[in-house]
Amino acid sequence: MNALKIAATGMAAQQMRVDVISNNIANMSTTAYQPRVAEFADLLYQQYQTPGTITSQTGSIVPAGIQIGMGVRPTTVSMEMVQGALSETGGDFDLAVTGKGFFEIIQPDGESAFTRDGKFYQNADGLLVNSEGNALADQVTIPNDAQRVTISPDGEVVAYFGNAAAGQTIGNISLTVFANPKGLEALGGNLYKETEASGAPINGQAGSEGFGIMRQGYLEDSGVDVVEEISELIEAQRGYELNSKIITAADEMYAATTRLR
Amino acid sequence: MDNAIYTMITRQSGLMREFSSVANNVANMGTTGFKAEHGVFSEYIRNIEAGASGTGPTSLSMGKLAGHATDLSDGGLKATGGALDMAISGEGFFQVTTPAGNRLTRAGHFMLNADRILVDPQGNEVQNVGGGQIAIPQEATDIRVAQDGTISSDGIEYGRVGVFTAPADTLQREGNNLWSAPQTQIVDEPKIASGFLEQSNVNPVLEMARMIEVQRHYDAGQSLMDLEHDRISSVARAMRS
Repeated sequence: MNALKIAATGMAAQQMRVDVISNNIANMSTTAYQPRVAEFADLLYQQYQTPGTITSQTGSIVPAGIQIGMGVRPTTVSMEMVQGALSETGGDFDLAVTGKGFFEIIQPDGESAFTRDGKFYQNADGLLVNSEGNALADQVTIPNDAQRVTISPDGEVVAYFGNAAAGQTIGNISLTVFANPKGLEALGGNLYKETEASGAPINGQAGSEGFGIMRQGYLEDSGVDVVEEISELIEAQRGYELNSKIITAADEMYAATTRLR
Repeated sequence: MDNAIYTMITRQSGLMREFSSVANNVANMGTTGFKAEHGVFSEYIRNIEAGASGTGPTSLSMGKLAGHATDLSDGGLKATGGALDMAISGEGFFQVTTPAGNRLTRAGHFMLNADRILVDPQGNEVQNVGGGQIAIPQEATDIRVAQDGTISSDGIEYGRVGVFTAPADTLQREGNNLWSAPQTQIVDEPKIASGFLEQSNVNPVLEMARMIEVQRHYDAGQSLMDLEHDRISSVARAMRS
């Protein structure tokens, strides 16, 4: 009898769904977090009697065969690319992207990573870095004597010196998009890495079509919808219970069989 | 052994398989586009020899699992907001190209791959009405899917997702949310809901009721076999003494 194994795959699937939901809820305040959704598919079927089997010489066909499924398996835990709400922070180097673009960060090993978390700081040399001290790929350095810095929606960084009314362009922050952002590999720390599935990074100017624009003084909130997560959680919990009921019943059926002399 | 035991064995093994399909339905409660299936039992008649006197019954009726009926009714629609999430309401399936050939699916959780072609979560290409692939270029930012499956952005059409049907008696389950059918036919006026996913149509209340029913029938069968066993052993005892 397969019922025990089938119900076990069901319990494992619901368990995984709870894991994904708890990670989403844990990240409900993470800047620019994209909620994840677990998707499932049925396993292979054992074909006891294939549909379309001919049952007589006159060619009558069984209307429906006997196919017994082997349970369920997770197929993907995909990122839902939702635009989080923007919160005003007032920080000069806080940037939120409205649109599909990512910032490119150079990691200590020299590899590129991508993020939508636009919380940047100046390091000792004036270079713009993320919260872990890794620099933006665009290498924007803010001069020490700059009074004020503005970053335009298309990424142009302008510094104002002394009493001069006009500012000077000191750099440009670009954005990167992917054909399939759901295919990015999450590295933790709000960072993502390109993969075969995501396609090669396409770098471009903010404001051009498909890239989105930047907002200085704002950060993107987490995209998690708590109400939705909780209702998913209830569903997953009940699903888990139902599967465990099947295990109990299967166990009792086994017991009935072994009671036979 | 005699016929009473044989009759029970056919029934018990059918019930076991039925129980497996209940377990499979429950395990797939959270599977997008899953269709529940239920067993159908039928009677079949076996000829047996007439009694020594030439009278008595000459046939025996047995119950066996004859087939599975798939419940093709629509599952509930869950709003996801994903532009490329599609649910079919009413008849029809999406068709995808797999290495093993064309397959049908009701799970419309689609996405773009690295070449910007519409694929399912396993990477199989989703077919348009003509059976070809659907590519969505970089400049299409605001993607919309119309009720008939037309994918467009800013008024430019990029393709139309095909919806196909096949006779219910030829549909074969393949796993991975896929079905195969020898012949498919296009649906002229499909109803596709964009931003929704079709949930599994498994009804938990029904499945629990069926689980209890199957379990109790099975128990009853076992006790009948017990009784039969007692009867035969008492006959044996009587003959020995």
